[in-house]
Amino acid sequence: MDSRRVVLITAAALLLLSARFAAQRPATAQAGAPGSARTAAPDDYTGYWVSEVTEKWRFRMLVPDKNDYIQVPLNPEGRRVAALWDPAKDEAGGEACRSYGAAALLQVPGRLHITWQDDNTLRLDTDSGTQTRLFRFGGSPPANEKPSWQGYSAATWGGDEPRDRRDGQGGPVQDKEGRLVVDKAQQRTADYLQVVTTRMRPGYLQKNGVPYSANAVVEEYFDVFSDPYTKNTWLGVTTLVTDPQYLIEPLIMHAHFKKLPDASGWDPTPCRANEPR
Amino acid sequence: MGSDAMQSKRTALILVLLLVASRPARAQVDVTGEWSPRVYNTHMDIGDYTGIPINEAGRLRAESWHPDQLDLPENLCRPHPIDIGLRVSVSQLRITTESDTETRQPVGLRLHVAWQEPEQVIYMDGRPHPSANAPHKWSGFSTGHWERNTLVYTTTHLKEAYLTRTGVPKSERSTVTTRVHRYGNLMTIVFIINDPLYLTAPYIRASSWIFDPTQIIPPFPCEISPDGTIIGAGKVPSFMPGKNDILADFATEYGIPLEAALGGEETLYPEYIKKMKTMKVAPRTSTEHYRRAQ
Repeated sequence: MDSRRVVLITAAALLLLSARFAAQRPATAQAGAPGSARTAAPDDYTGYWVSEVTEKWRFRMLVPDKNDYIQVPLNPEGRRVAALWDPAKDEAGGEACRSYGAAALLQVPGRLHITWQDDNTLRLDTDSGTQTRLFRFGGSPPANEKPSWQGYSAATWGGDEPRDRRDGQGGPVQDKEGRLVVDKAQQRTADYLQVVTTRMRPGYLQKNGVPYSANAVVEEYFDVFSDPYTKNTWLGVTTLVTDPQYLIEPLIMHAHFKKLPDASGWDPTPCRANEPR
Repeated sequence: MGSDAMQSKRTALILVLLLVASRPARAQVDVTGEWSPRVYNTHMDIGDYTGIPINEAGRLRAESWHPDQLDLPENLCRPHPIDIGLRVSVSQLRITTESDTETRQPVGLRLHVAWQEPEQVIYMDGRPHPSANAPHKWSGFSTGHWERNTLVYTTTHLKEAYLTRTGVPKSERSTVTTRVHRYGNLMTIVFIINDPLYLTAPYIRASSWIFDPTQIIPPFPCEISPDGTIIGAGKVPSFMPGKNDILADFATEYGIPLEAALGGEETLYPEYIKKMKTMKVAPRTSTEHYRRAQ
């Protein structure tokens, strides 16, 4: 084979491979101060997104009947409280936002608008219920934080915990000062958004009054990915609600959102106790 | 050999070395072990195609399905393809490393699911998928790779099957892309199902499992009854087009417009809530669910 051709073919292969790896690299080229959460973001979460309701359709696209909670691991107290649901009373009592609280907001069909409020705060607005969630990096809830529908959300980029490495005695590998030694082989790359929310006002896991308490803890995992068939960009969210007051085990829910090019279709609505959104 | 040729070969050698050095990274995350399902099944009712971007051909097939088909001898021990089995059946899951039988080197991962004990090997060693004419199996043929900490694999060569337990079809031409995310002791698997015959858009759904190293997956023996024991010999229960007299029961039961209950891409989006308000809903029945809600 002609030697120049050998070089050309090899260079082309290298170029292709480089492109493939570039596509896998974290999109860290976002504007932001050095060392900020925004700069460290593994993916771009910002933009407009719309719910695609393929999960629990009848519980989300309609207001389910009272006592219809077949997919929620309620304990007897949870069932007792669910049976007391009265949407007219919620509307009259200024409690119409109970089904738009942090634990269930992403289950409500609608659009999201995600932006960086500052270098360490990711902001999520919804058109359904006109709610705002703030994902705060590097903080913890102030002691006097008042409970609210959206609570206090502490955010981190997850997945970069180093692999475990043991020394000959079974302990972790440490340096002379007792600090963990992490070498390149142990390092991993952060690749998802993890959010833990507390300090919420009591709310509903479903529109039909299935309760969560003020002591509930909501863990969420956000992933951005593209599907190979349509090339659409998706935001997948796994939500885990822990609430021993009303649940016999944590409730796990999923929601998927398709990325939109712009704000078209953005349709702000107030909280409504007896409407799906 | 001239010096130019030598130089070219040396450059090529360096490029090849660079290529080898940049081979895909090994597994970022360990997903092997015992996983206990937190899977909430849906679509348990005839006529519930909600949330599925089904097309007319898929709907026609689904409407012809009769629940007694489950009792036909050939169906009693029929497994689901593994991607569906993980979602619609008792889905305790075990993931182990798959090694080459001769070299003992790892070549991928093996999934084992409780119900009907299907197994799926995900090859991670770069081998190609077989010819389109190769046999289709319940486990299909899967190849995978890592995208940072996410295991991504594509399954082809699946047998024709169902998307739900109530007859919504999935063709042998379907392809499934699966994304496995581990978040500590929680694992979420996202299934992206592409079916050019029965869907108008990829169907995305997810389920989660909790790491449970003490989990025991029991054996799943299954015995086929002789032909004619449950259903009359030679009969295949089904509905002719337009003759399914139980198709609307689900919609009526839950107060859903029938058109909405029968799915389609449009029904997946928030705008459809407004449209449903203009649609006819059959009077509610006095069935168990309706009474419980009063």
